[in-house]
Amino acid sequence: MGRRLAATWVALLVALTAPAPASAQQEQGATLRIGLQQQFDTLNPFLGITLAATDVFRNIYPTLTTYRAEDFAVTPELAQRWDHSEDRLTWTFHLREGVRWSDGEPVTAHDAAYTFNRMMTDPAASTANGNFVENFAEVTAVDDRTLVIRTETPQATMLAIDAPIVPEHIWSRVPDVAAFPNDEMPIVGSGPFTVTEYRPGQYLTLRANEDFWRGPPRIDELQFVQFKNSDAAVQALRKGDVDVVRGLTPAQFDALAGEPNVEQVRGQGRRFYEIILNPGATNSEGAPIGTGHPALRDVRVRRAIDHAIDEQVLVDRVLGGYGQVGGGYLPPIFEDYHWSPPQRRAFDPALANRMLDEAGYPRGADGIRRTAAGEPLHFDFVLHGDESADTQVGQFVKQWLRDIGIAVELQPISDNQLGDRTTAGDFDMVISGWSANPDPDYVLRLQTCAARPDPQGGGTPDTFLCDPVYDALYAQQLGEFDPAARAELVARMQQRFYEQATGLILFYPNSLEAYRSDRFAGFDLQPAEDGVIVSQQGYWGYYGARPTQAAISGAGGTDYGTAAWALGGAVVLIGAVVVLVVVRRRATADSRE
Amino acid sequence: MTATAKQIVRARRRATAAEAWRVFRADRGGLLGLVLLVVVVALALLAPVLTDAGGLDVTRATGQALRPPSAEHWLGTDESGRSVLLLTWWGARVSLVVGLAAALLSVVIGSLVGVLAAHFGGWTSRILMRVTDFFLVLPSLVLAIALSTVLERGLATIVLAIGVTAWPTTARLVRAQTLTVEARPYIERSIALGAGHRHVIGRHVLPAVLPLVFANTTLSVASAIIAESTLSFLGLGDPSRVSWGSMLKAAMDTGAVTGGAWWYLLPPGLGIVVVVLGFTLCGRALEAVFNPRLRGRS
Amino acid sequence: MPETTTAPEPAPTGAGRRGRGLRALRYAAGKLVGGAVSLFLVAVLGFFLFRVMPGDPARTMTRGAPVSAEQLAALRTRLGLDLPLWQQFLHFLGDLLRGDLGTSYTYSRPVAELIGERFWPTVLLVGTATCLAVLLGLWLGTRAAWRHGGAFDRSATSVALTLWSVPTFWLGLIVLMVFGVGAGPIPGLFPVGGMSSPDAPPGLLPQVLDVAHHLVLPALTMVAVIYAQYLMVMRSSLLEEMGADYLTTARAKGLREDLVRRRHAVPNALLPTVTLIFLHLGLVVSGAITVETVFSWPGLGLLTYEALRVPDLPLLQGTFIVLAGSVIVMNVLADLLYRVLDPRVRES
Repeated sequence: MGRRLAATWVALLVALTAPAPASAQQEQGATLRIGLQQQFDTLNPFLGITLAATDVFRNIYPTLTTYRAEDFAVTPELAQRWDHSEDRLTWTFHLREGVRWSDGEPVTAHDAAYTFNRMMTDPAASTANGNFVENFAEVTAVDDRTLVIRTETPQATMLAIDAPIVPEHIWSRVPDVAAFPNDEMPIVGSGPFTVTEYRPGQYLTLRANEDFWRGPPRIDELQFVQFKNSDAAVQALRKGDVDVVRGLTPAQFDALAGEPNVEQVRGQGRRFYEIILNPGATNSEGAPIGTGHPALRDVRVRRAIDHAIDEQVLVDRVLGGYGQVGGGYLPPIFEDYHWSPPQRRAFDPALANRMLDEAGYPRGADGIRRTAAGEPLHFDFVLHGDESADTQVGQFVKQWLRDIGIAVELQPISDNQLGDRTTAGDFDMVISGWSANPDPDYVLRLQTCAARPDPQGGGTPDTFLCDPVYDALYAQQLGEFDPAARAELVARMQQRFYEQATGLILFYPNSLEAYRSDRFAGFDLQPAEDGVIVSQQGYWGYYGARPTQAAISGAGGTDYGTAAWALGGAVVLIGAVVVLVVVRRRATADSRE
Repeated sequence: MTATAKQIVRARRRATAAEAWRVFRADRGGLLGLVLLVVVVALALLAPVLTDAGGLDVTRATGQALRPPSAEHWLGTDESGRSVLLLTWWGARVSLVVGLAAALLSVVIGSLVGVLAAHFGGWTSRILMRVTDFFLVLPSLVLAIALSTVLERGLATIVLAIGVTAWPTTARLVRAQTLTVEARPYIERSIALGAGHRHVIGRHVLPAVLPLVFANTTLSVASAIIAESTLSFLGLGDPSRVSWGSMLKAAMDTGAVTGGAWWYLLPPGLGIVVVVLGFTLCGRALEAVFNPRLRGRS
Repeated sequence: MPETTTAPEPAPTGAGRRGRGLRALRYAAGKLVGGAVSLFLVAVLGFFLFRVMPGDPARTMTRGAPVSAEQLAALRTRLGLDLPLWQQFLHFLGDLLRGDLGTSYTYSRPVAELIGERFWPTVLLVGTATCLAVLLGLWLGTRAAWRHGGAFDRSATSVALTLWSVPTFWLGLIVLMVFGVGAGPIPGLFPVGGMSSPDAPPGLLPQVLDVAHHLVLPALTMVAVIYAQYLMVMRSSLLEEMGADYLTTARAKGLREDLVRRRHAVPNALLPTVTLIFLHLGLVVSGAITVETVFSWPGLGLLTYEALRVPDLPLLQGTFIVLAGSVIVMNVLADLLYRVLDPRVRES
């Protein structure tokens, strides 16, 4: 046995060490490596909804229009210009000439028409971007360069259609969109990059598209490297194994301060973070659903709760200061539509107590308030079990509400279960939050009566506001084509939402990123001021990445050769020890027997 | 006359206990484990007396977030500015309670299955042992994950998930021991005298098996505590309660590892190691005491 | 676990080759049937466990996208959710036998395909770690037993017990911090996660080296936690063997002490240990889940973790069935192999 073992080891050693591992760095261009903590749910643009996947789609598929990097203004993309009929029901998009798919076929209006029609007729294809075509009556390609869209009603959001357009000659052969993984490499697309390799759970590689109509990107390759926890991604950034990481926690962000060759990017977030107070949920037919506490139907109780919550403390403690105190519904990153309450409901537990006393909720012997019917104010507070911010916010809110005589039970559950319970109205308080888009229509719609679930439970409700005043304003803004007038309407909607206090906007978290400054000189942030690199509403971050000379000549990154030699050395050492032991054994074996 | 019989029994028990203690004392590892456990359990029990639970309240936390150890906070602070020392101290309570409860549950299930399988034999035994073997090879963490995912989150779920996955070793051990006990002549005699199942199991089998079960429980607590921390780490715990597992999860989620916050990562981990080691050492020593076959092995 | 109770059957008298062959066949058939029953139980458990889940799978699949009631109903029909439970179970079994484990909510891809991608990385990690841990455990256990009660025995046992008391994920984190990132004077020598670098040069050898480089930390972490049990088992069974009568006979024949141990005691002590290796495979697989999570190793454990965070029930169900099933299959194989290896089992 000893001899065989020794022989194996020798064979292994020879195999492992004989040819020097070629540390071949014959690169001419730079690779930008993004560390991701999220999975690509799919590469199928009709199905993918995670930020990671949509970020890839923006870089490989054309869209009609896109949002400018500097300020989110709508800017031409595949559609060079557009016009609309007098009644604003018919829109004509004139597409750019000379744009080609990565397999050489031209990109035409027929591809766009095919994409939208598929989304309108095939339920599976409407999974990710169905909301864009909800109001579409007909989409036709008049010729190769002209796309005509007719809508049912006038729609102010017609220029905010950034759904990916797919090549008809590929997708018309796909019978079942839901079952199509779209993982045949290279994926036929027409963006600044082309997906060339995908190892699920590990990485996704994109090559620069040299024929991109705006001109080729400055980098040669774009890579998304997947990590299972943000700590691993940060460690990789520190070692230079990736160039950009996003979604940092405050602690991680602070830890990277002063790190050599690492530059921090503190961007304004697109998200708002809110607590929903169940105002008596109803479904689309107006029938009450769920288990909401009766006391929360009283707007005075909801306002009192807001007075008992100190948003500034939450920003300081939970976000480590990396965020803005909440107020209006739309985050301040979208200046045109952001609104701040002129008179905030300030943190004032004494006032909150007074308000509850006056509203007729006296404290019981246990210090917990009661409704007129004698029911204690005991609220279930549903949280995302995976989010440390939720847990922290929950702990703070629980203490604060105890001070005003309200008992709160924290119920951390999975995202899916939270979604189910929100939709069913089975909560008293629940944490919610949405990433707003440059066009506010999608998030504004969440508070309308139409967003309530149907009796079968379909739909995506948020706070179950369903207020006639709000709904009238919503309909008005959707048909308002003057930007200033529309912004005014949106501000009034936010005021109404704030007064009703069904959703308490606690804060807008910053988006915390960091990148390797030894390999990249800078990125085109969106927006230019306090913007982000990753997950933009567009492809600017990667397209405009400016590699340093070091990155172009291939320095930095993993020192692969040394690592391989270190490993080889370790193997040799272990092998030598084993051989030595075996030889010694054999030498003494004779005398032993 | 009965008095003398009682006295004899009492004296015999005292002698047995003394003998057991002598054997246990001879095992230095067991003694070390016992000392570790006594210290940790005493601290956990005295936590409300020696410390102020108000320090666990995030809204009244005074420290800054994630600060290294200082004169004020000996083990630094967590992401909400609470003292890590205080959290570790109180975390011991939850970890110990969950560990003990889960171990107890698993031992009760295991003993029940083991005794029944051994006592009744035949098909009952064959089916029970089939099930036991099935659960024995099953990757228990995978099953525990599945259980905690489908059930509502909370301490009870964790206890249940660990309890119903960890019992097979106990069942096999108890069955083996029961078979040995039941092979002894006095049991045959008592059955011949007309003793029923309840009498035999309650009066003869259980008392004879219990010491071994006790030793086994001690070992089970060790693995239950590790299981609790693992489930909490995977995000299946109850984050509103401070346990060592949930502390590590919070440390991970808030990026304390990258932040180099070793003071947040080490105390709960070392706490787990100390308690688990304590239970393991004690359990092994107890096994040696109650199972003479094992004596001299450790 | 030593079986103290099964009295050895009387040795068969005049058992010819045919009798022995028949018995071997019966033994193998028994083990195979037992394995099949266990696999069936896994399927039953896998099915019913995930039907307890609150929430409507059809709604979960649409992920909050605005869908009409008709679409939901159609989806339920397609998923067979409108059938009685026992019919659903039969369908499930049929699909399972055809290797169809359903479609993942999050990936919109067949679960079987996802598992297929992640299976071999786990085999590589678990296989490497188990082999190393077994070799290390057996070697240390043997040495500890030989010098029973000595300094080596004491230190080896205490180190093993301490490492065994460490939660795997915590050790992984510490290892990651020290050897992956680097702490103080120790530079970060190894990758912090994943199984391969995207920028590794092409060619078989560099690729293999690259994977090996990534394998070091996760494998070491697993070895550190699991070798202890092999050490303890080997040590105690060797100690038991060393007191046995036949060793006295061997000594009386004039065989030298170390030969007695190496030729007689160790081979016999190995057998119970081998059984335990397979019995403990479930524990090792459990450890793999946390290690893969910490080191982002793209295996089944990580897939389980990803699935439970959503929770992606079909995927979770799939990984549960595959992980539990493989452990059971390995155990049946071990039982069959064991009979070939151990003459005592063959004869009794």
